[in-house]
Amino acid sequence: MWVEIGHFALILALVFALLQVFLPVIGLTMGNFTLSKICRPVLWMHFFWVIIAFSILMNAFIVDDFSLKYVANNSNTELPTIFKISAVWGAHEGSLLLWALILVAWSVAVSLFSKRLPDEVLTPILIILGVISVGFLLFLLFTSNPFERLDIIPTQGRELNPLLQDFGLIIHPPMLYMGYVGMAVPFAFVLSALIRGQLDSTWLRWSRPWTLVAWAFLTIGITLGSWWAYYELGWGGWWFWDPVENASFMPWLVATALVHSLSVSEKRASFKHWTVLLAITGFSLSLLGTFLVRSGILTSVHSFASDPARGLFVLIFLVIVVGGSLGLYAWRANLMRGGNAFAFLSRESALLVNNILLVAAMLSVFLGTLYPLLLDSLGLGKISVGAPYFDAVFVPIMIPAVLAMAVAPFLRWKKDQTRRLSGVLKNAWIGAVLSLLVALFLIANIWVVLAVFLFVWVVLHSLLLLWQRLGKKGSINLAFIGMILAHIGIGVFLLGATVVTQYGVEKDIKMALNETHTIQGYDFVFKGADNFAFSNYKGHKGRVEVFFDNEKITTLRPEKRQYITGMPMTEAAIDPSLRQDLYVSLGESLGDGAWSLRLYYKPLVRLIWLGGILIALGALLAAFDSRYRFRRDL
Amino acid sequence: MIYFWFAFMLSISVVYLLWFLYRPSRNKPLNLEQSNIELGKQKRLELQSDLEQGLIDAADFNQANDEIAQTLALELSQHNHNTRFNTPPSFWLSGLIIVFLLALSLGIYQILSPKPQPPTIQTQIMSLSLEDSVIKLQNRLLENPNDAKAWQILGLAYFELGKLDKSLNAYEKAYQLEPKNPRLLTEYASTLAIKNDNNFSGRSIELIKQALEIEPNAPDALYMAGLFAVSEHDFPLAKKLWQRALSVLSTDSPDRAVLLEVLAQLETLTIEDQGKSSKTETKHFVRVKVDFSDKILATRGDDFIMIYAKPVHGRPMPIAIQKIKLKNFNTSITLTDAHSIIPSRKLSQANQIIITARLSKSGAAIKQADDIQISSEAVNIIDNPTVYLQFN
Repeated sequence: MWVEIGHFALILALVFALLQVFLPVIGLTMGNFTLSKICRPVLWMHFFWVIIAFSILMNAFIVDDFSLKYVANNSNTELPTIFKISAVWGAHEGSLLLWALILVAWSVAVSLFSKRLPDEVLTPILIILGVISVGFLLFLLFTSNPFERLDIIPTQGRELNPLLQDFGLIIHPPMLYMGYVGMAVPFAFVLSALIRGQLDSTWLRWSRPWTLVAWAFLTIGITLGSWWAYYELGWGGWWFWDPVENASFMPWLVATALVHSLSVSEKRASFKHWTVLLAITGFSLSLLGTFLVRSGILTSVHSFASDPARGLFVLIFLVIVVGGSLGLYAWRANLMRGGNAFAFLSRESALLVNNILLVAAMLSVFLGTLYPLLLDSLGLGKISVGAPYFDAVFVPIMIPAVLAMAVAPFLRWKKDQTRRLSGVLKNAWIGAVLSLLVALFLIANIWVVLAVFLFVWVVLHSLLLLWQRLGKKGSINLAFIGMILAHIGIGVFLLGATVVTQYGVEKDIKMALNETHTIQGYDFVFKGADNFAFSNYKGHKGRVEVFFDNEKITTLRPEKRQYITGMPMTEAAIDPSLRQDLYVSLGESLGDGAWSLRLYYKPLVRLIWLGGILIALGALLAAFDSRYRFRRDL
Repeated sequence: MIYFWFAFMLSISVVYLLWFLYRPSRNKPLNLEQSNIELGKQKRLELQSDLEQGLIDAADFNQANDEIAQTLALELSQHNHNTRFNTPPSFWLSGLIIVFLLALSLGIYQILSPKPQPPTIQTQIMSLSLEDSVIKLQNRLLENPNDAKAWQILGLAYFELGKLDKSLNAYEKAYQLEPKNPRLLTEYASTLAIKNDNNFSGRSIELIKQALEIEPNAPDALYMAGLFAVSEHDFPLAKKLWQRALSVLSTDSPDRAVLLEVLAQLETLTIEDQGKSSKTETKHFVRVKVDFSDKILATRGDDFIMIYAKPVHGRPMPIAIQKIKLKNFNTSITLTDAHSIIPSRKLSQANQIIITARLSKSGAAIKQADDIQISSEAVNIIDNPTVYLQFN
């Protein structure tokens, strides 16, 4: 009975999403304020029914209701309760329901926290968000229904993918979806402005904090995904340039460009073309990413064809959203003519350069991700585009972007002079050049030298900026602190990523009982592997003792699990620290007590995620700046 | 009961909507014009602050200030002064909205709600025993001998019953009717291989090739082709085929576990093949004790006793087997990796297994009419278990 109530609640959610679109449209057309204003309460009811549907699906997992196909396929009685809960979004149907829930939650947040937004601006925004919700709920109900029943109820369900039975899965998808879906808000702001024919200050001012929050969540989601892949997949990598990762990275690059572009449009009324295009592209890429991952295209182009209903729906929805919004953009192009003038050397120019580089970087990732899929789907052969391509194309684009990023905050709006700028920055530049010379003297690896230089470059500029502002009353606000944190975060990430890539050590070896292997002065002693069992898996737990200068530092217990469905899983053991991670994963038993093991030494790897946290924190601080609240004394 | 809940949910929705359609409006809406004017003022204050912090040159300040004023003027000129009425909608419109809500929600539920399906041949035989299924299928095929699906299912049923010749006959008829069905071709090939003591014959290979020509990424056909590659000691090809099969399976497919398992086994096999681990090792074993009644011992002493292990998960093919004359059987035997049939599928690599003992006059690999057999419960191979079986 509960399942049918959940199913009906999801249908009611769709009906209310349709009302959220049609009632205000009728109201705006007829000039009836009551009908257009009802958009908000209808949205809240839409939210209420999605919550009910989601809760009932979650309950079905908790009580092992295998009459639901989705539950039977992704959970079983032996699964720990916490993973039964996270299994709700562990596969296609549930994750789309989570998408729909987060989208409507964002819409409710916009309706509640935009009280200073006039109704004639807010209502079209909620209509656009309603249209997206309708698309997703139709997709859910007609092609990916999580409430689909089984004719014959199995006594036991299948296994949730063991890779997903982890704390990382509990938080990574919701955070990433918060970012993906959050990009719908600036998109809705832009479309609303284009439909109204008024690309005005109100739109620009109030879309920026929402963009910053979405960007922060996207950063957190990607950072968590990288961290999860690092410790859960047992390969010790933090980024694989995998299409699934790229699908989330592309909207992040565009969102980064958008938050910067918005600041210029908002303050100087320039770059409106760019801003509009970036908001449309950001959400289109989020949508593309979600569907690439969830339609199965990325597993193989052929699995796309294996479910033509889903594939067709995806294509139609993408065409409507992307094509429709670009069509609107072309139609309203006349509204974006002009813009205020600025000199070649100015803050506007620096931010434009930043935008161009970020978009070029996104296009390089886009090409590397989609081109092989396109070739494969057209039957033109299979090609593999991996790290060598991305390293060769992406890195050279980002180096000037990082250099410009540090300098841009010192530039003046409209026009600046080279002499003034070099006078202000000479100390930072001398410091950076000195660090480069010292690094060249001490470090043999040119990439690490470059990373140290860029890190020092960013940190010195940021500290100098902070120093300059400290003396000026009222010049330090949340937006400023946020910017400093985010820029330092980029530097920290860059240092960690380069050092671990260049100096990380990986050994794939066979170790006999009590055999020792030494990496970077650390002695890894293999002490065997014991049998162990848990509710839904059993396997072997290795024991590796680590010594440094004959002093025992830690004991690592990597696991090789065999889940009840027979699926094998590797659970790495890590000794984490800011300086380095010592990482061990257990391979196969080779007889006579010997095992194959992977030993890793990962210097400064934690800086990668620390950088991500700093960026996200910076974005959140900037979003809550007092500028985004009306001052009543005006 | 469920309709009571639906009515309750719809009532909440209707009452909620009507309340918001007819409640008196309380707050005065914020005006866009006013909003843009206030933002214009705020931008001027921020510009002043930028000037004080040296973020804009004094000479450019006035120009930027003028630009803010021009932008505001443009925004105000673009503003549409629409006349809006704050009146509740007419009753007929409200009625239409309510009818829309009720009709659409119930209509969609009607489309999506679970419906009893007309019985297919699969559902008709699902609850029957294998023997009853065969009778039902035979009757159906008497009425409709061109039902390829029924021939295929009959082939599968005979296979499960161990009647491989009949199974192959049924598959051949299905094949004549539907030669382009990759699933059928793979099942046919698999049965042929088992009939041939788990060796791939020219015909079975031919069928797998046909299946892959029709559907290059058919997971079953790729799996079988991989097994053939292993039997030919072409491990890289087997790996490639199984990885391809893995790539086309959806993430929630249970067959992924089987493929991952055989890939892991292949890895070990490859290492062993490369001489990294040259000596044969017995990682796990299962001891099987079989008791026979005096009557059996007296009447079937010349029969063969065949004891084999099948994995619980994955393809139900024996992975280790011993065959011995009953009169030479000494109450127990031990199955180890040395008794594996296919090099890639060793006993100790399975997770859970079922032990079957069969008494057979002919000693043929396929169960014959007068053979008798018994099977154990599933046991964990990691425990090196001892299994007791009894023929009465």
